[in-house]
Amino acid sequence: MITVTSIGGIPYYILEFGDELVYFTPYTITLFLLALTFTVLVIISRPEKQVDIAFGGDAYRAKDISISEMRFRRFMAIACGLASMGAMVTGDIFNFTLFTAMVGITNVGIVAAVKSPHVQDAAYQYGLVALAATVPLFAGAAVYAAATGSLSMIELMNGTLPTVPLIAKAMLVIGVIGEGMAPFYAAKAEMFRAPGAPYVIMCSLSSLLIFLRVVEVVMLG
Amino acid sequence: MTYLSSGTDMIAELVLATLFGLLLLGIHRKLIARIQRRPGPPIWQEILHMLKFSFKTTWVPITASPTLFVGVVLIAIGIWSAAFYVLVSGGSLLVILGIYMLHKIVEHGFGLSSGSPYGKYGGVRSVISAASEIPLFVSVAVIAVFTHSLDLSSIMQYQQVSGPLLVTAFPAACAMFLVILSKMPFGPFSIVEAKELVSGYKTEHFGIWRAGLEVCNGLKTYVLLAVFLTVFIGPLTLPWLLAGMIVLIVLLAFSCAITPMMSPFDSVTIQMMVTGLMLVYAAVVLVVVHP
Repeated sequence: MITVTSIGGIPYYILEFGDELVYFTPYTITLFLLALTFTVLVIISRPEKQVDIAFGGDAYRAKDISISEMRFRRFMAIACGLASMGAMVTGDIFNFTLFTAMVGITNVGIVAAVKSPHVQDAAYQYGLVALAATVPLFAGAAVYAAATGSLSMIELMNGTLPTVPLIAKAMLVIGVIGEGMAPFYAAKAEMFRAPGAPYVIMCSLSSLLIFLRVVEVVMLG
Repeated sequence: MTYLSSGTDMIAELVLATLFGLLLLGIHRKLIARIQRRPGPPIWQEILHMLKFSFKTTWVPITASPTLFVGVVLIAIGIWSAAFYVLVSGGSLLVILGIYMLHKIVEHGFGLSSGSPYGKYGGVRSVISAASEIPLFVSVAVIAVFTHSLDLSSIMQYQQVSGPLLVTAFPAACAMFLVILSKMPFGPFSIVEAKELVSGYKTEHFGIWRAGLEVCNGLKTYVLLAVFLTVFIGPLTLPWLLAGMIVLIVLLAFSCAITPMMSPFDSVTIQMMVTGLMLVYAAVVLVVVHP
């Protein structure tokens, strides 16, 4: 059995609210700090002006982003950053699935205001996959609760609970993959046609962080 | 691996690791050139590049997101410095591999922040090739099954008793080698820096920003090769560690020199196939070797 100290390191700090808790290990704090850094960058950065080249000629044009569009996308990107930070430090399986679902919704929101049919189509397709993925995601959490009687990651780490069925872990991973990892990433990659870094970077950052966290979660218990 | 005692030692080792990493990249480039019957640059060329870019004039493109354009360089150096610290302190392997995956976001940030289409395509290619990282996590899972731990110090202790994991978990070592290969320049999976994209995600970063990126590349190369040796060979003294890294870079250079660069689609397909094979191997290990 893998011990608590050998997965993400020894927790520096555990904040308990009854059964709900937040904890910081070297692993979760690394991911949390990355999410925080990029969220701060989103808040203080002005967006890029994407340059498009017309193939077959020398023409090119820079896309400008209107203030109202920028404000909406910045808001969604900050919401995505907050959801990612929550998912990184939560010690509760159900909260983790909630934050993951919120990341999926905000990812669509980040590009929803972009007036490009390619981006809108990609966001719609990604939204459908993310929506469908919430079923195994929440079902996985439900099986965790049914099999072990707890959703606390700390209790799972301590090894005092019954073994988590493999199907619960598989459902959780499938749910997270549906929120934006390969092979469902194809639709999401098209979303990056949208101008306006650093907002679109939050789409890829949040998915990657959630995937990294679920790797730790499924190795518990 | 050596263990650090003070902040000054830490900075000195960080600088030396960066320079040695750049030297390894120079050896890599020279070997590829010689295998392809070209003279190639001197092996210290990457170090010269880093120094040259440090003193060149620079600016931020008018189309760029200025804060992100500059900030992502600092983040790149920061995450690999953190990985180096975890490595020398014998911390969790999962943290290092998490940082390795987050390097994708750094590449994406480099590409998107400039507003250049070449940078953007490089960044997007970097993100779609995230499939290459999945074998890495399967390797980690296999290592955890064998050693019952993910602490580098515990993994080294296990190998002192039971022998190198290179022998007992050879497919996992192959998968990790492939993952490192996907990060090497001029390799079959180097689609983020393909010539049709000029320099890919780093096209618009020059001057001091490019010097920062070179520092990051040197440190990244050192950390990845040292992690491979630590995880699959075991504890090594510094001379043996450096010699092992040179042997690894020679193997990587041969792999890069004799393999053409793939198209993005083929690159991702092969990486997904490797992931499938690794999942089968992990299942066999879990069910048969360590039920």
